[in-house]
Amino acid sequence: MSEPSIFFSEVNERQGTFHRRSFLLGGFAGAGMLALGGRLAHLQILEAQRYEKLSASNQFNFRLVPPPRGLIVDRNGEILATNRPNFRLLVVKDGVHEPGATLKTLAHFVPLDDDRQARLMREFERTPNQRPVSVLEDMTWEQFSAINVRAPEMPHVTADMGEVRVYPHGGAFAHVIGYVAKVNREDLTETGPNSEPILLHPGFRIGRQGVEKAFDLDLRGRTGAKKVEVDARGREIRHDQDGDIPAQPGKTVELTLDVDIQNRALEVMGDESGAIVLMDCRSGDLLCMVSTPSFDANRFVRGLSTAEYRALADYERRPLLDKAMSGTYPPGSTFKMTTALAALSAGINPEERINCGGGWYFGGRTWRCWRHGGHGPQNMHDAIKNSCDIYFYQVALRMGPDHIARAAKALGFGQTFDIGIPGQRSGVVGSTEWKRTQVKRDPTWHPGDSVSYGIGQGYVAVNGLQLAVMTARLANGRKQLNPRLIKSVGGVEMPPGDEVPPLPFSPEHLDYVRAGMISVANDRSGTAYRQSQLGLGDVMMAGKTGTAQVRSYDGVASRSSDSVRWGLKDHNLYVAFAPIDDPRYAVSVIIQHGGMGGATAAAPRAREVMRVALLKDPEIRARIERPLPMPDVSDVPPVGQAPDAPIEGPPLAADPAAPT
Amino acid sequence: MTVSALTRPGERDRLVVKFTQIDWTFVIALCLLAGTGALMMFSVAGSSWEPWAGAHLFRFGFCLILMIALALFDIRVWFALAYPIYGLGLALLVAVELFGDTRMGATRWLDLGFISFQPSEVMKVGIVLALARFYHGISAENARLSWWLLIPALMIAAPVLLVAHQPDLGTAMLIALTGAAIVVLAGLSWRVIGAAALAFLVAVPPMVMFVMHDYQRKRVLTFLDPESDPSGSGYHILQSKIALGSGGFFGKGYGLGSQSQLNFLPEKHTDFIFATLAEEFGFLGCASVLAIFAAVIFMALRTASLAHSHFGRLAASGVTATFTLYVLINGAMVMGLAPVVGVPMPLLSYGGTVMLTVMIGFGLVQSVRVHRYTEVTSGKGAFV
Repeated sequence: MSEPSIFFSEVNERQGTFHRRSFLLGGFAGAGMLALGGRLAHLQILEAQRYEKLSASNQFNFRLVPPPRGLIVDRNGEILATNRPNFRLLVVKDGVHEPGATLKTLAHFVPLDDDRQARLMREFERTPNQRPVSVLEDMTWEQFSAINVRAPEMPHVTADMGEVRVYPHGGAFAHVIGYVAKVNREDLTETGPNSEPILLHPGFRIGRQGVEKAFDLDLRGRTGAKKVEVDARGREIRHDQDGDIPAQPGKTVELTLDVDIQNRALEVMGDESGAIVLMDCRSGDLLCMVSTPSFDANRFVRGLSTAEYRALADYERRPLLDKAMSGTYPPGSTFKMTTALAALSAGINPEERINCGGGWYFGGRTWRCWRHGGHGPQNMHDAIKNSCDIYFYQVALRMGPDHIARAAKALGFGQTFDIGIPGQRSGVVGSTEWKRTQVKRDPTWHPGDSVSYGIGQGYVAVNGLQLAVMTARLANGRKQLNPRLIKSVGGVEMPPGDEVPPLPFSPEHLDYVRAGMISVANDRSGTAYRQSQLGLGDVMMAGKTGTAQVRSYDGVASRSSDSVRWGLKDHNLYVAFAPIDDPRYAVSVIIQHGGMGGATAAAPRAREVMRVALLKDPEIRARIERPLPMPDVSDVPPVGQAPDAPIEGPPLAADPAAPT
Repeated sequence: MTVSALTRPGERDRLVVKFTQIDWTFVIALCLLAGTGALMMFSVAGSSWEPWAGAHLFRFGFCLILMIALALFDIRVWFALAYPIYGLGLALLVAVELFGDTRMGATRWLDLGFISFQPSEVMKVGIVLALARFYHGISAENARLSWWLLIPALMIAAPVLLVAHQPDLGTAMLIALTGAAIVVLAGLSWRVIGAAALAFLVAVPPMVMFVMHDYQRKRVLTFLDPESDPSGSGYHILQSKIALGSGGFFGKGYGLGSQSQLNFLPEKHTDFIFATLAEEFGFLGCASVLAIFAAVIFMALRTASLAHSHFGRLAASGVTATFTLYVLINGAMVMGLAPVVGVPMPLLSYGGTVMLTVMIGFGLVQSVRVHRYTEVTSGKGAFV
């Protein structure tokens, strides 16, 4: 410290400046630390609660638990739609990891071909981050455990167990029940039940058709939730049982259909295209409603490939169309009961005979009867029994279309019924008013229109359900019976079909028409005698055949040509009820392009389905199986030698007329 | 040992005496900080020494021994090596520009075959030494305002531009601010300081918009509005604030921080370890750790003011400035007061490079303390 003073002062000045400024640095550091401390106090003391909430919402997550979808059962509780366990493989995209690489890894353990991977990659592109995508459904137990064991190495992959819809009866109920399928973007709504987040769950399915669609909300149930602790990747760390909200299963929907009748109907239809509807003509319950060819609804649950869908959509027999409700056909001769009732109501004497010579010249052309040789003089009963066209041409012409339309409406044509599921088409019931408003190019009703109207051609189109309702109302004879398909939903009984106004026809007229139908099926000369024998003793069936033209036969030699292409053949129809003395069931059968004459294709099938329905009915069964009344009391054999009760009528197995 | 004993000639040069002159309170404070870091790493690893806590303590032990060894080096050795170290650092930065390894889009690493390191770390010490060495040689008058000051300006600008070009904005900023701190401490005219501050403020917005890389600009803009993109770039800031805030006054308890344990917190053992601490030990723990940091800073500053040589003073305070900047920048980032820049919390965060740099710097500080009475002259052959 003994340097020269000038140097010293110089040193001193530097030191002084440094000291002053290092205080400043110290002050700056101190201020900085205080600022940090203040910020800490702000975050950790003043705003602690807010951040605690944010932290908890990070840490805990309510995972939605999809509710088990409600069952669909038949009238006897037989299961038509249920759920089975499904091992699924889910992959989450998080914006960091490339899902393609994950799929490639997964392809080592489970079958994931390149096509499927490409399809999944497109799905990943559409899916927001953090939402799982279902990569594979219905894994085997081996695949499921193989993935589960490797889960820790594949943080974006989870194998879980969900439920998948299954239809044990495959095609038999496909049109009525419909199916469930993956949720599309179009299904989602801003509000209402379809805005619920459960719809985004990878395994969730939404009702697409039939009962599944119409009762989707009832079947869906209430979504549950489980409280889980998750890490930043969204993986479940712990499950807090106390925080669970259990899922409520969907309601059970009970149908009026009967599995046995439905299956038999599908069976007897074989390869034919058409519909069978069977209805209880006391209550209005539909026991059978089948449309063929059908399809396996289970395929739709998983999602059809484009090829599968095209195959279904392009087939000319149109499996996807419900022919019982959505297909409308000219009723042909099955309409003659309606014409007859209209004529009776219009005051035409049924005993008046009209001569059928096989043809009738009117309005510049010859109107032919289906029987070229003619039926001879016919009263109304004969005309129904023989299905004489000439008779009904003339009767229809005489009373005009509006009488017929009124009767047709009263019997259920030209309308849809509230059976709970969508898809019915009302068809056409022609009248002067209808033609004036609906047929723009020719609004006048011509007498010739009435002529073909009388035999169920021209301006009339009906569906299978309407035909069954018409038959049931005729058979019931009192009420304007409505069909019912949904028996109950979640245990709540749906309104029955028999709390309805009476039919606007006199009982005598109805008896007259029914007698005609009985003759059709039971007089040896009736048009469907051979095909209408039930073989159930005194339980007998009444019916009416029908043939509906799909093209004009003017100038064509024969209608019954077997060589014509399928799509050009006539539709083949049959309606029936049984037993004739105490009607219980009404059935309608439509065989699209089944060939001429309702007896050939439709009647044998109606008989088969009717037999199953009758044999399943305990009252009818008791009637069939009851012993014959003893002819004479004095003939009682000694005790112990009582003969077996003889079976009345031909044996059940004897079936002389197999369906053609 | 009395003070009078130290005044005996040659007494201070004895190794044992030098050893006693090290600031042991300071060393204890460093141990506490490194220990806290290891404690948190143990927690976030799920109560395991692997993979971080053990390694962290081991590195600290090594660095502590190195620091003590460096403290025993005569201050005149540091003085003599000041320009060579700076020159070496600059040469390495140029080398990295030419031959460096590119990792994660930035060329920061130099691979020497057996070891790869970031030359910018050498420069953190180098700039302090070189500037202290320079100002040691010029008068107060010249240090205030003269053409001589172009030399320190160049000395700072060269490494800052090289590092910024890598690009490593965090380190470049740190070097620039450390240099600026020394220039100010050495006695730069307040007018120049004021003008420079003004120029800086004017230059920042255009810098952000036109010079920065996209990811850097995004970081800055996200910082200004972190909630705008909570799962994207705002994620780090938001999650860090949640961790801090949810810790509350007493914390969630050791090992119970859901934010860090469940990985919501990014970089939970490195840059964001302070948030882990805050979550598990609350305001109480954070304030205590901040107090220890403050103590370390003030002890180092005091050491600087004790030194008789201008070189010692400036070198020690330069190192302290670097350390302070580390703490403040990391703290501000974790608390959502600054954009996310890759600046760790010294001693607390996992990572060997920064710890080595900081401990070498503290070795210099302790050397200044041990040799505080040693006169340093800039003449030839001045040191032993």
